[in-house]
Amino acid sequence: MACVYIPVQNSEEEVRVALDQLPRDASDILDILKAEQAPLDLWLIIAREYFKQGKLEQFRQILEEGSSPEIDDYYADVRYERIAILNALGAYYSYLGKIETKQREKEEHFILATQYYNKASRIDMHEPSTWVGKGQLLLAKGDIDQAFATFKIVLDGDSDNVPALLGQACVEFNRGRYSDSLELYKRALQVYPACPAAVRLGIGLCRYKLGHFGKARQAFVRVLQLDPENVEALVALAIMDLRTNEATGIRTGMLNMQRAFEIYPYCAMALNYLANHFFFTGQHFLVEQLTETALAVTNHGPTKSHSYYNLARSYHSKGDYEKAGLYYMASVKEINKPQEFVFPYYGLGQVQLKLGDFRSALTNFEKVLEVYPDNCETLKALGHIYFQLGQIDKAQEFMRKATKIDPRDSQAFLELGELLIYSDTGAALDAFKTARGLFKKGGQEVPTELLNNIGVIQFEREEFELAKQTFKEALGDGIWLAFIDAKKMPPVIEAAASTHEYKNMQLFHELESNGYRVELPWDKVTALFNLARLLEQLNEARTATIFYRLILFKFPEYVDAYLRLAAIAKARNNLHLSIELVNDVLKVSDKCPNALSMLGELELKNDDWVKAKETLRAASDATDGKDSYATLSLGNWNYFAALRNEKRNPKLEATHLEKAKELYSRVLIQHSANLYAANGAGVVLAEKGHFDVSKDIFTQVQEAASGSVFVQMPDVWINLAHVYFANGNFALAVKMYQNCLRKFYYNTDSQILLYLARTHYEAEQWQDCKKVLLRAIHLAPSNYTLRFDAGVAMQKFSASTLQKAKRTAEEVRSTVAALQNAVRVFSHLSAASNLHIHGFDEKKIDTHVGYCNHLLLAAKVHLEAAERDEQQIHQRQELARQVALAEEARRKAEEQRKFQLERRKQEDELKRVQQQEEHFRRIKEQWKSTAPASKRRERSDDEEGGNSERRRRKGGKRRKKDKNSKSRYDMEETEADMMDEQELDDEDANMNYREPTSQMNDEDDVEENAQGLLAAAGLEDSDVDDETVAPSSNIARRRQALSESDDDEPLDRQPDVTPIRGNSTELQESDGEIRDGNKPNADEGSDEEK
Amino acid sequence: MKLAGLKSIENAHDESVWAVTWVPATETRPPLLLTGSLDETVRLWKSDDLVLERTNTGHCLGVASVAAHPLGRIAASSSLDSFVRVFDVDSNATIATLEAPPSEVWQMKFDPKGNILAVAGGGSASVKLWDTNSWQHVATLSIPRPEASQATKPIDKSGSKKFVLSVSWSLDGRRIACGSMDGTISVFDVARAKFLHHLEGHYMPVRSLAYSPSEPRLLFSASDDGHVHMYDAEAKTLVGSMSGHASWVLSVDVSPDGAALATGSSDRTVRLWDLSMRAAVQTMSNHADQVWGVAFRPPGGTDTRAGRLASVSDDKSISLYDYS
Repeated sequence: MACVYIPVQNSEEEVRVALDQLPRDASDILDILKAEQAPLDLWLIIAREYFKQGKLEQFRQILEEGSSPEIDDYYADVRYERIAILNALGAYYSYLGKIETKQREKEEHFILATQYYNKASRIDMHEPSTWVGKGQLLLAKGDIDQAFATFKIVLDGDSDNVPALLGQACVEFNRGRYSDSLELYKRALQVYPACPAAVRLGIGLCRYKLGHFGKARQAFVRVLQLDPENVEALVALAIMDLRTNEATGIRTGMLNMQRAFEIYPYCAMALNYLANHFFFTGQHFLVEQLTETALAVTNHGPTKSHSYYNLARSYHSKGDYEKAGLYYMASVKEINKPQEFVFPYYGLGQVQLKLGDFRSALTNFEKVLEVYPDNCETLKALGHIYFQLGQIDKAQEFMRKATKIDPRDSQAFLELGELLIYSDTGAALDAFKTARGLFKKGGQEVPTELLNNIGVIQFEREEFELAKQTFKEALGDGIWLAFIDAKKMPPVIEAAASTHEYKNMQLFHELESNGYRVELPWDKVTALFNLARLLEQLNEARTATIFYRLILFKFPEYVDAYLRLAAIAKARNNLHLSIELVNDVLKVSDKCPNALSMLGELELKNDDWVKAKETLRAASDATDGKDSYATLSLGNWNYFAALRNEKRNPKLEATHLEKAKELYSRVLIQHSANLYAANGAGVVLAEKGHFDVSKDIFTQVQEAASGSVFVQMPDVWINLAHVYFANGNFALAVKMYQNCLRKFYYNTDSQILLYLARTHYEAEQWQDCKKVLLRAIHLAPSNYTLRFDAGVAMQKFSASTLQKAKRTAEEVRSTVAALQNAVRVFSHLSAASNLHIHGFDEKKIDTHVGYCNHLLLAAKVHLEAAERDEQQIHQRQELARQVALAEEARRKAEEQRKFQLERRKQEDELKRVQQQEEHFRRIKEQWKSTAPASKRRERSDDEEGGNSERRRRKGGKRRKKDKNSKSRYDMEETEADMMDEQELDDEDANMNYREPTSQMNDEDDVEENAQGLLAAAGLEDSDVDDETVAPSSNIARRRQALSESDDDEPLDRQPDVTPIRGNSTELQESDGEIRDGNKPNADEGSDEEK
Repeated sequence: MKLAGLKSIENAHDESVWAVTWVPATETRPPLLLTGSLDETVRLWKSDDLVLERTNTGHCLGVASVAAHPLGRIAASSSLDSFVRVFDVDSNATIATLEAPPSEVWQMKFDPKGNILAVAGGGSASVKLWDTNSWQHVATLSIPRPEASQATKPIDKSGSKKFVLSVSWSLDGRRIACGSMDGTISVFDVARAKFLHHLEGHYMPVRSLAYSPSEPRLLFSASDDGHVHMYDAEAKTLVGSMSGHASWVLSVDVSPDGAALATGSSDRTVRLWDLSMRAAVQTMSNHADQVWGVAFRPPGGTDTRAGRLASVSDDKSISLYDYS
């Protein structure tokens, strides 16, 4: 047993003090030390011994006594020992300060420590151990730079000072200069190889920080060899093992951690790590216990923060977001700077995002981003939040950055794509495709909603085949494949039952009873629906209906499928079935605005005006008037009502128009980009005669409507054409009508052909008018009004030809033919009127027949005259021809004679050739040189003649053109006159426009007869040009009126003008809504994944 | 089963071509193609080069339908003015001019034996039958007026809904099917001149009908609803329905072997359908406007083993395809 010997003053004896038997009361020892004036190093030894035994009070007592002023006086010349005592005290208080958690006491300890060190310095400025002590103190206070300077002073004096080396290493470690730190530790070890294990711990930590995990491990192992109870080394080793992320590593790591825990159960670090481990193994109870202990034993901020974080995470994963949020918050509070420990911010952000507190989440994620500016998850989270906050641009920016940083993050691409859908579908498609590629490359299953989105965009971009493939891929394997490949035929059904084919589920029941599994997973429904929509677009309506039915078979609540079936039935004109299907929807949800709107349209088609209005109202009410479609439909209803009123009450008409305008405007206020509302407003304006404004509107709408498969607006083309027509710009109107027909109707719409014919009629292009009408008849054979119109056109053509001053027999002949046809057409109509009710007054037709026959008689006279003329001309021509023939014959004979002569001459010449070679050549040359000259002259004559002729012809043309323009001018004038009259008569300046669209007038018949007479009068005065013009437009108007005033199907017809167009908008719209509906679905899906 | 374009004649007529049929071969000449147009002419073409053989004039308003006698010697053409002109194919001599006012004339078909010409009578809601020897009107097959009780369609005020557009003879000549504007198809017993039943399923005009040459009861219908239906005309069942055209189906014809169907549509295409798959196998888009008529060349004659299909269109052109 170690003991010290205190020499007894003035003798050779010594007092033996056994170090392990130091008295409890340090005063005893102190008395001895003082009494014997023992050397100071003995004081120090004894004090240290007390310290080692944990008797801190005694330790301090001895040292304080040992540094008291009396000692200073007494041992004034013993410098080193005094310094050592002071330094020991300084170190003691530094340590106390370091471990003290209360700020004030901490300060006090540090102040005491500083005082001791300063006192030591006063004894000897250059004592290195004092500097080392000071350095440690500064280090404990966190004053790293000063600590560095202090240690440097020592090391400058003695570069091998081990404590200084260690201190400096610690400084460097804290400064993050791990390699420097490592060097210092190494040197310390070299200088003093027997140093305590802790030095190697430092080396291990440096290695660890430097990433030299192997060497770090060696160091820690060495530490444990030297000191098997070293908790830090155990923890460090354990952390390293855990970090390997392998099963065995984690196991040994946990063993070490447990040992550390057993050795010292209050090491917060070990507790945290254990908690962390149990978090991952899902033992949340243990996590809570461990972290609570850790929180109880430590006051160290970062560690506490870590513990709170563990706790929060545990609650987070259990879904207790409120509690998790609180603990995250507590964790964050313990952190001074986010750089130290950023995870809780992320967790807090996540929880806040989940709880819908986007603003707070935003700030937290932004803090994370400050620390890790390239962290994809954070970027994605921020992108998502900005999206939720409606800042799409910013959201895109973040998402794009995320995809740039990690071009293999499929989720990021997916979200980017979803963001881009709103602005740039092309880019969105690219993003989605990249995401799909990444999923595939990663061997993951591509999410259905991703494929669905790709498919929808491809659909939208009219890449139908690609879209089809994509939807098929989204659907994967299932019963639907059988239908796509048409392997399963729908069963043969009774033809009468086919009326209800779209409601027939027998097919699926049969399949089921045949052992097929008719299944449709919920996540495939949207894709299947979209595929069906696509098939509709590709005209595969049959397969589409099977899919819709399959959806309904499994999900009878899926309203959209019903509506699509109803739309298909409606497109096939099966109104009965369509109404039934819509009623099915209303059974599922009686307030479904889409279904109500559709029902309203169907009722309109069915001529149920009052009911339609009620239904549309209901649709509008169901959405509190927010559904623009219902409002638009009501607007259309009012517009049609304004025009259909048979009594043509101007007041009622005005109110209806006003109402329509109001409704359109309301939609426009809600959605300034609503094309249909704009179109409606344009129509109302046009009705009021503001053609310039309406033309601008129509042009804009037309521009906006081009470019998407989902927006098809033929109405606006027609309206534009109407405006051109009303402005008298017939050529443009014709072009517009034709383009519309071709672009939207495959040239099948007889109504537009009728508009076209009317334009030709007004432009006095009779033949074109007739041809167009014949085409229309061919397309719509049962529309007798077209026949009537054709008759009128032929009649008009004949009348105008006969009124021409000059006409050829051919023209008159075609006139006669036309008249005969007209008569035949009219008499057919007359005869057919017995069979059908097609809305013509027989008398009216008879008037036409009479008039045509009258014309025919006149034409015959003209024809005879013309034929006489022609015959005369013909005879004259014949005569001339015969003369010419005789002349020709004579000339030919002459030529023949000449030729004979020549030949004889030549023969003679040939005979003489040998003798008279010279002479012959001369003759020949002469002949050669003269011939071309004469030819040239001839040609120039020809040219002159031709030119002059052409000039003459041109002149003629010009004259003709003049005449044309004049007559057109006349016509315009008279038209204007007519309009004036109308204005006076009707107080309604808008008549003019309404005519081309629709007119219903009971007075027509009266007018009709009057005009018939007028026209007849026109015939009598066939020389007066002006007269014919007025009837022409009158007749045109009447004709239009006739075609519209068909009493039997006025309502079919009426809606035809625009409501049918309204219908098409309705379909489009419901499509759009369905599609919109899908996208949110997809969003939800991805949300969940997040 | 495929079509291969052989020849197209642009501007075969001066205006839209509305009707087409094949005139079967006689001992003296191969089969001819007969077309009718809005330009009021009927033209005869020699296949396979589509050389214009003759232009018949005399019609007023557009020529809407042409029909050829099974023996190939006579043919009929009709125009919108409701006249039917029967003429000798080789000499163009007019044999008869038929009219039955106030009935209009739409599609016409000779019966398989050539004894009767059936004419779709438009607004008269009937099919008129003409004897081909005497050229006398022999019978009228009228569609019964719908009774109030069976009014399936809600509003059917005007009688023109049963406007008859198309007509077709069954293979044995005992049945006539006619299609009307409202989409119903009516089947008649010819011998008894009796209406048998309706075939429902279309709700838009049925512009063309064709019986299968191989299965006697099978009837194909082309409608404005874009679908082609297959009916068992006797059992009143809808056997199948084929969709694919983007617009009205204007014309349908069955190949002589009964395995394929050709359709012409407003969507400017001609489609070939495999009946065993009930799916379109080919789409020809050489026409620039509505395809009003398609016609398979009937078998017979010396060099006519190869299958031929002709199509005519609003774009004024005629096209000939090899069918194999």
